[in-house]
Amino acid sequence: MKKILSMILMVIIMITMVAGCSSPSTESGGEVEGGGEDSNGNGVYRIAYIARAQADSFAAWLANAVMEESEKYDDIKVDVLDGQASDDTQNGLIENAIANKYDVIIIQPNNGEAQRPYAEKAVEAGIITITTNARIDGIEGASSVDADPYMQAKVNADLAVEQIPENANVVVLNGPPGNFHADERRKSWENEFFAKRPDVKIVGEEIANWNKDEAMNYMETWVQANDKIDAIISMNDNMAAGALEVVKDDPKFKDILAYGVDGTAEAVLLIKEGKMTSTSLQSAYDLAEALLSTSHKLLTGEEEQIDIDIDCPLITLDNVDEYIEMHKKAGAIK
Amino acid sequence: MSKYSIYFVLLALFIISWLANENFIQPNNLKNVANQISVGTILAFGQTILVISGMIDLSSGSVLALAGVLSVSTYVNTGSLLLSFVVAIIVSVTCNILNGLMITKFRTPPFIATLAMMTMARGAALLYTRGQNIYQIGDYIIFGQGSTFGIPNPIIFLIITLLVTAYLLKHTIFGRSIYAVGGNEEAANASGIDVNKTKMKAYIINGIFVGIAGIIFMSRVNGGMPNGAISYEFKALTATVIGGTSFTGGVGTAMGTLAGAFIVGFLDNIMVMVGVDSYLQQVVRGAIIALAVIYDIWAKTGKADKKLRSAE
Amino acid sequence: MDKDIKLRVKNISKSFPGVKALDNVSFAVKRGTVHAICGENGAGKSTLMKIINGIYKQDSGDILIDEKVVQINNPIQARSLGISMIFQELNYIPELTIEESLFVGNWPKGKYGNIDWKMIRKKTLELLEKEGLDYLPTIKLKDLSISDIQMLEILKAISYNSDVIIMDEPTSAITQKEVEVLFNKINGLKERGVSIIYISHKMDEIFRIADEITVFRDGIVVDSRNKDDYDMETVIAQMVGRKLDNSYPKENVEIGDKILEVNNLTSTGQFEDINFYLKEGEIVGFAGLMGSGRSEVMRALFGLDPYESGEIIINKKKTIIENTQDSIKNGMVMLSEDRRRFGIIPVRTVKENVSLSNLKRFIYGGRLHKDEEIQTVTEYCNKMNVKTPDIETIVEVLSGGNQQKVILAKWMVTNPDILILDEPTRGIDVGAKYEIYKLMVELAKEKKGLIMISSELPELIGMCDRIYVMAKGRIAGELDRENFSQKNIMLYATASSNEKEVEV
Repeated sequence: MKKILSMILMVIIMITMVAGCSSPSTESGGEVEGGGEDSNGNGVYRIAYIARAQADSFAAWLANAVMEESEKYDDIKVDVLDGQASDDTQNGLIENAIANKYDVIIIQPNNGEAQRPYAEKAVEAGIITITTNARIDGIEGASSVDADPYMQAKVNADLAVEQIPENANVVVLNGPPGNFHADERRKSWENEFFAKRPDVKIVGEEIANWNKDEAMNYMETWVQANDKIDAIISMNDNMAAGALEVVKDDPKFKDILAYGVDGTAEAVLLIKEGKMTSTSLQSAYDLAEALLSTSHKLLTGEEEQIDIDIDCPLITLDNVDEYIEMHKKAGAIK
Repeated sequence: MSKYSIYFVLLALFIISWLANENFIQPNNLKNVANQISVGTILAFGQTILVISGMIDLSSGSVLALAGVLSVSTYVNTGSLLLSFVVAIIVSVTCNILNGLMITKFRTPPFIATLAMMTMARGAALLYTRGQNIYQIGDYIIFGQGSTFGIPNPIIFLIITLLVTAYLLKHTIFGRSIYAVGGNEEAANASGIDVNKTKMKAYIINGIFVGIAGIIFMSRVNGGMPNGAISYEFKALTATVIGGTSFTGGVGTAMGTLAGAFIVGFLDNIMVMVGVDSYLQQVVRGAIIALAVIYDIWAKTGKADKKLRSAE
Repeated sequence: MDKDIKLRVKNISKSFPGVKALDNVSFAVKRGTVHAICGENGAGKSTLMKIINGIYKQDSGDILIDEKVVQINNPIQARSLGISMIFQELNYIPELTIEESLFVGNWPKGKYGNIDWKMIRKKTLELLEKEGLDYLPTIKLKDLSISDIQMLEILKAISYNSDVIIMDEPTSAITQKEVEVLFNKINGLKERGVSIIYISHKMDEIFRIADEITVFRDGIVVDSRNKDDYDMETVIAQMVGRKLDNSYPKENVEIGDKILEVNNLTSTGQFEDINFYLKEGEIVGFAGLMGSGRSEVMRALFGLDPYESGEIIINKKKTIIENTQDSIKNGMVMLSEDRRRFGIIPVRTVKENVSLSNLKRFIYGGRLHKDEEIQTVTEYCNKMNVKTPDIETIVEVLSGGNQQKVILAKWMVTNPDILILDEPTRGIDVGAKYEIYKLMVELAKEKKGLIMISSELPELIGMCDRIYVMAKGRIAGELDRENFSQKNIMLYATASSNEKEVEV
């Protein structure tokens, strides 16, 4: 009896869910276009910011920056939703946001292609859709704000072409395979550096998954296996810092060059100390600022579609103080 | 003979690695391996105690991160190494007392209880730091990067926790009790062992180890990282299981776990050294783990069968 | 050749490293007979049965079915040759239902390779009805008693259309009434031409049911005769290689003061208003049918289960027992009826098992005193006559009797005043049984008080000074030595509930 009852209950739940999924599409019209104020009555636009993962430090920084930036707009309220580094979770959040009739949905995809159909659904539902860090290319009617990962790596690679000595031994630290930024940055190094410097030899290349501790372990082993390592080429600052942690007190590697990307607080301090060579800033503040201003422009109907890239300034010893200031202001450096 | 099968696997791997790359045998390299496995192995000692008593801790990676960031933060704010050490231990032990309470008082299966703690502790670490790493941790790095009498501190912690675990297992009533509880909980209870107290103690000791591991981890990476040590619980469980601790409970040793940790450590090390393709590395790592365990089980059951027959 | 021979074992030898388990063993089982196999644990019975069932491979010799040599490589092959085995330690999956367990691994398939549940239900009902068993096919095994499950095992063997069914200690876990049911079943099978190989330690059963008896000792066949040519003493003498003078070594011991008194012990639904006492040097029996609450009372007394009300007085001191630590501290220990579940830590060594309940004796001053432990454990193992290669052997691999002695040794290390023995001789061979009886007498002489629960009435009558009989959760009667008889015990055990009501 209990068994039958629970079965019936399950069936009812399933039916409701199926019905629930199909219903929003029927009422989706172009009502959001300029109608945001009406739908809420109080004149505040609602933005759903769907973060890749609150457990990812850059993503968390960006989410925090978006929240801070939104304070500047009286007519915007941002809700941050955590995608938990899972395609499934994130897609579910996008669907929920559509059902909740947000005025704007900003998606920081976990994996661009996996979120593409859901971003398209948001556009179809007439909701302003913005993809960011990394953008999902080619969605009709969606806008995007991003930093160009290829350029981020290129500014470093250009410097490295000049700096890295002849016949140098280098080690390469990669981000997780399949990640857009990881792949683009590595591609950029290949085209802009290794293609131009055939004399340089890669004595070690590993996937350290953006992680400092994994990068440390690899570097410790490389240091044993190689007498000479001239440069660390890392796809982000975290891994570069990990590798430097290993050799920082070793006189043999006093002059080692190290390149990263992101411009984290730790990286700018290392550059200031002369341990790290350069990085390029992927500024969460710049991204957040661009995201909010883009949202605002789209909401007020000023523009229909916007695709912009924020700058990726190169940070070296020459200009590092400026960025230390920036981090101090944000409270990341005391 | 078969009791020592896992040590033969380790020896074989050692010799093969040596032949594959002469740098492998360099004292510095071996020191590195010991350094690298220290965090995972200290966690593994905690897991060994728990798995022997028929339990598990899925929360150790997350609790490590929580204890670690709170400890780093304490140091950054007070400048006291001692205080930051104590904070890490207190935080981690508290989380593990909660694990223990869920299991002994509310009869939650250890798998579920610690799974819940895994999520809670990680969330708390991220909440506290708002997802941001804490940098400029100054002298805190002495725990993970400093040396005492020429021996790196992580290795010293590793040795201390090894000795403590081995001592607890062999020379204390608690040790005998956890083997009994894991081997047959009902019989242990009927023999006058306080099962709940034993389980609680196991989690508390695990908590101390996780706290120490948290300090070393944060200190080694020179920062308070709320995202640090994700899935380290599985790293620890891998070493534990390769080391011959039985998931059905009642069997396992500290030395076995250390051997298991070194097997994984050497394997990772030699593959990077000889430049095995990084995707292939994962395949090989998995395969070797499977082979090591198969060999170990084969060697053991062979013996068990013989004994069974001769006793008949 | 004799046409009537169903299964013949010819010159089988089998060695394990260091041990010759079977040495040139031959015997024959006739069609439609019950062939009993006797022998102490370690005599080679189980090894031979495992060879016949395809679990082990013989070193030399042949197995013949219908006088043709067959190769049996695994139990599935054995089954297809018409041989089924019902193991002593029943392995079953508690969550399965009766119908699921009957067909597990042998599912009837439907058209699409799906499991044909309708067919299963139909066949199950047929089988149950044919065998006169009154179960619903959807009852889970965990809700059945051990004897029910054993009946199902037999049912399963029948459902395979087996011609030879090996039963290893089939009555070790079932009540007298159920034994009758089993024996009826066996007789029915005989009439159908099925041959039964019946392994048991219980002489009275063997002499009731067997047609032929083969005695094993130390891996050889000592003798094989018709039942009528045997008597019990001869079988036992052949088994142990010597003649046992008296099957119960009871001695008269001076009875001292009360060491245990239980007043009005109650646990609703389990037992009510239990009053009894135990004196120094006394062996007190607890009789009663299964489900009468005997074990439940003792479990509560020992602190394994809670009780609601009542008073426990140990050595004239009112004592509160909340857990086993409390009772052990007060010198009271209990040997459980289910030794695998409540007795041994199977994966640990003899040494660790023996020292488990009194670890303080060996671990003090911050370290383990290894030599003291080895010395004490060895001493008690010798005293209990535990047969083990060494004390570092894993307990799991010992025979049931030796495991029981290990548990006894464990309790002896705590030097208890009161021992509760719940079915201490269940599933143990004659030699070991005798040793346990002797030990009980020794303990009584040392002024310890013993409580013995047993389903075997002769054992209670032979060993006890007084017997309490329980029925339906109450003490139905108390018998003194002069009033001991199976009839008196059964009278109380079965008729008590009415009397009680009259009294109240």
